[in-house]
Amino acid sequence: MRLPVEYLWLIPALPLAAAGVGSLTPRGGRALAADVAIAAMAGAFVLACLALTSALADPAAHQVANFAWFDLGGGALRLGWLLDPLTAFMAVMVTFVGLLIFIFSLGYMKEDPNFTRFFCFLSLFAAAMLGLIVANSLLLLFVCWELVGLASYLLIGFWFHKPSAAAAAKKAFITTRIGDLGLLLGMLWLYDASGSLLFYDGGAGVLEAPVLSTLAGQTLAGGLALSTAIGLLIFCGAIGKSGQFPLHVWLPDAMEGPTPVSALIHAATMVAAGVFLIARVYPLMSADLPLDVPMHALTVVAFVGAITALMGALIAVAQNDIKRVLAYSTVSQLGYMMLALGVGSWTAAIFHLLTHAFFKALLFLGAGSVIHAAHHEQDIRNLGGLAPRMKVTFATFAIGMMALAGVPFLFSGFWSKEAILHAAHGWDVSQVPFYVGLAAVVLTAFYMTRLVAETFLGRPRSDAAAHAHESPAVMTVPLGLLAAGAVVLGFLGTPACPWLQSRLAGTPLHSDLGHLFEGGGLMLLSIVLVGAGLGLGWWLYGRRLRAASTDRDPLAVAAPRTLGVLAGKFYLDELYAATVGRLNAALAWCADRLDRHVIGGAVEFLGKFGLFSGALNRELDEDAINAGFDRVNAGLRGSGIRYSRAQTGEPQGYLRVLAVAFVVLALLLIVGGVR
Amino acid sequence: MSFDYLLLTRALLPEIALVIGALAVLGYDLTLGRKLPNKDRLGAALGLGSIATIAALVDAVLVGRMGPVYGATLMLDSLAVATRIGVLALTLLTLGIAAGARTPRHPAEYVAIILFATAGFTLMAAANHLLVAFAALELASLSLYILAGYDKARVESAEAALKYFLYGAMAAAFLLFGFSLIYGLTGELELGAIAIRLAHTGMSPLLGIALVMVLVAFGFKAAAAPFHLWAPDAYEGAPTPSAALIASASKLAGFALFLRLLWPGLGAVAGGAPGAAIGWLTPVAIIVGASILLGNLAALAQGNVRRLLAYSAIAHAGAMLLGVMAAGVTGPGPLFYYAATYGVAAAGAFGVIAVIEVNGGCQRITDLAGLARRSPLLAGCLAVFVLSLAGIPPLAGFFGKFVVFAGALQVGGLMDPAGWLALLAIAMSAVAFYYYLVVLKQALVLPPAAGATRIRVPLTAGLALTLAAAALVVLGALPTLVLRYFG
Repeated sequence: MRLPVEYLWLIPALPLAAAGVGSLTPRGGRALAADVAIAAMAGAFVLACLALTSALADPAAHQVANFAWFDLGGGALRLGWLLDPLTAFMAVMVTFVGLLIFIFSLGYMKEDPNFTRFFCFLSLFAAAMLGLIVANSLLLLFVCWELVGLASYLLIGFWFHKPSAAAAAKKAFITTRIGDLGLLLGMLWLYDASGSLLFYDGGAGVLEAPVLSTLAGQTLAGGLALSTAIGLLIFCGAIGKSGQFPLHVWLPDAMEGPTPVSALIHAATMVAAGVFLIARVYPLMSADLPLDVPMHALTVVAFVGAITALMGALIAVAQNDIKRVLAYSTVSQLGYMMLALGVGSWTAAIFHLLTHAFFKALLFLGAGSVIHAAHHEQDIRNLGGLAPRMKVTFATFAIGMMALAGVPFLFSGFWSKEAILHAAHGWDVSQVPFYVGLAAVVLTAFYMTRLVAETFLGRPRSDAAAHAHESPAVMTVPLGLLAAGAVVLGFLGTPACPWLQSRLAGTPLHSDLGHLFEGGGLMLLSIVLVGAGLGLGWWLYGRRLRAASTDRDPLAVAAPRTLGVLAGKFYLDELYAATVGRLNAALAWCADRLDRHVIGGAVEFLGKFGLFSGALNRELDEDAINAGFDRVNAGLRGSGIRYSRAQTGEPQGYLRVLAVAFVVLALLLIVGGVR
Repeated sequence: MSFDYLLLTRALLPEIALVIGALAVLGYDLTLGRKLPNKDRLGAALGLGSIATIAALVDAVLVGRMGPVYGATLMLDSLAVATRIGVLALTLLTLGIAAGARTPRHPAEYVAIILFATAGFTLMAAANHLLVAFAALELASLSLYILAGYDKARVESAEAALKYFLYGAMAAAFLLFGFSLIYGLTGELELGAIAIRLAHTGMSPLLGIALVMVLVAFGFKAAAAPFHLWAPDAYEGAPTPSAALIASASKLAGFALFLRLLWPGLGAVAGGAPGAAIGWLTPVAIIVGASILLGNLAALAQGNVRRLLAYSAIAHAGAMLLGVMAAGVTGPGPLFYYAATYGVAAAGAFGVIAVIEVNGGCQRITDLAGLARRSPLLAGCLAVFVLSLAGIPPLAGFFGKFVVFAGALQVGGLMDPAGWLALLAIAMSAVAFYYYLVVLKQALVLPPAAGATRIRVPLTAGLALTLAAAALVVLGALPTLVLRYFG
């Protein structure tokens, strides 16, 4: 069975329908809302699998189904669906991970009074995310892009009675909006330059050779190619959505949302949308440029990714909130993916995106299981000793941790990270991203060891941790499935048999076991670095386990000032508040004055004028003409004799207007016609 | 010319279905339904009426675009077929509203007259001949007078019908006088033949008078200023389903007929082209400006929700007449889209009022207070209808405005009166937000008045209103569904 591209819209339509049902379900209909959402997600998963089979039948092809949305002047604004291996793999990942997280939420959100609303928002998010993936038009993609932003806002602020959650939702929405402005401008510019927003359109789409060569051929003032400028503007959107430096500040705060939301939106899917976007418009980003052009859009992508990867990993070292450690780790890993895109290997980026989605969702759900068991205690200094109390959670969390750290051979993160490092090593522009990547490998292994040691080992350091017990099956079964994915997925893209990469790129598959350890020196180096990170983590945190919540961190003893900077997240939030925030406040003050006194005055005058003329008109209509009738009407009720007088009384007024209007218009026409 | 009666019968299948349906409604009520309580008689009549309307709808689709019929007496082109379908769909909506409104005293007659009026509307949509046009218009108008005064025990209803009738009779006299002058000047009754004659003779003072007479009559039908005076009273006093029909299907059919008469028939004397003599475009432009200004400004000061809808209808009539002006360039598509979607929104708003009325009065805007708590379904539907009337983007009302104003700007850019009027209409749309939002504030934000109870929405009416709201959303998202038909 295959899914023809014409029916691809069914994949986002199912969760959208579930969101519609959920929005109409009263608070009491908890089972209905959840069942519909999960059933829709399961249906979408089945359809996505069918779509995958039809995409893999011819992986090099881009199947499209375009249609005219509406006519505009001479042309028509067209939208469409796109089915290729990139779309299909993403759709399968989102629906599968989404389905597991939906099921996990059944347990995690059981006691929340707004359970139905939660599932409604989750379904809305899934619909928008899937719409983003199947879109064959930058416009449709942008619409869905904004919708996932909205869903993210609603879900971060789901517990809006907490001021911190409301503020985090606002911050996420506004920060990503800054990037989206770039995306919008890029989209408008692209439409202006090419007259189309369809990705693939039988040779006329913006990602196809004829349009690309015109875009790459034009140079702007400053020597920038047009395709580079548009590509960089589109990349702004990806910076905001994927939490890249300098717009990463919203992502850690977004952890105020319920943990399944963090797993689904802020780890596995939505934040990866930026990576997906760049992979989607990769032909535009990598268009062949004339030789004298100074800058390539992908160079910027590579360096932004490298900075983000290193900075996220550094900050993660100094965080004490279990979810914030994972959040900064997400920032760092997204930087990795951007790095891979920048150095020219978009298939490695998508490979890492897919494996990361599984193990990071696993880690977040594991954290959710811990938080659920420990009565919403999230500070790792107050946890500890959970391993014997929550065996399944500990085992799966450890698998996720090893996948993220890149423990060799058995875990998926190792293979996808290898692919990225390999690509970075082969980049001919600069080796800086490669060395940054290596540094991040050490740091990742280090902070994950610290996280596991502090959370699960040693003695419980609070009552909540001491009384924790394993979560119900509805939560542990998804953990197990994700853990299986976190292991198995890596084998789809080993150097010996890079099936996933070849399917994505649409190239024939060369499998040869001899290639398994290709680039052995590089692989050995990264294994050594992973070992160093794990060892260092064990030496600092595992050897002598924390005894009480108030004990100082070993790093804080060794290098208090460095750790302070890291714990303060390089003080970027403070910097933004002091510069952009101040400027914004000043501008807002000016705008407020202008609004209140200049524009407000004018509007008030206009409004008063409108009200005055409205009242005047009503007086004329109702008092002069109608009141006469009402008076007569009162008499009408009394006697039928005066009925005739009523007839002659009132309509005269109305008909007089008609007659006068007729005469005026006729005179106008006759006088004008004669002239 | 060939007179093929079989072909004529085929072309008139929708009207035949409607008339048979009306007779069946009356026949059932007089025989089997006589002993039943009023409520059941209404149910049976509405059921039969709906079947007849659906049959007519199927007929209209099946008959399709036949082109000129019976020596071009009827013209079944895109506009005619689309208008027939639109009118029949709006009638179905009206019947659904009637199911949720107060039960009238003689329900079968009420439904039968709605069906007769609808037959008039569908005939208006296809009429290509002055006499057929007049007969169709009068069939529709006379039925509407009766519907407006149906609740004759209520003084307001009688007042509304009386005013409507007197004004309408006057307008009909003007129309007939205008038609006879045109006939006298050209010697033709069929629009195509009239156009050929006028292309030779051109404008004359007598023709000018005839044109203004026709405009007066249609100004009345469309409730455009300064021929609007009947509308607030009629909307206020008429039984709610009647008001819905007057505001929706009647408008759509009127505009279709008006468009056909002015462009295919009288297009030669439109004027407006550089150097040409002044024609009917000039008085129409004045009516457009007056309607948009007066309708929107007067609506600001209304405290009565029905009168507010009436003034909003006057403003919308101005915008639709702007679509008529632009139709010479754009074709009938934009105007039809606007009129049809406006009809759905306006009839829907009256439908909500009808259901509230059964649960204790709905005249003042303040009677809507707390609707969101009294009935979330009604409040949601009302929000869609009112926001569509206001022209908020995802809804059909926005696209109607968009295509009509864009069409008006295509005529001659800002060098043409149509362009100025489009700017005026856009500016006044901003003013209009105020009074639409006043309605929504009452319905969605404010708490219900003390003692207000939950509203029980009858199944049929709830279904009809939900479908109407859904149609506005779908048509707003995919305007090509309609516009493509005129491609």
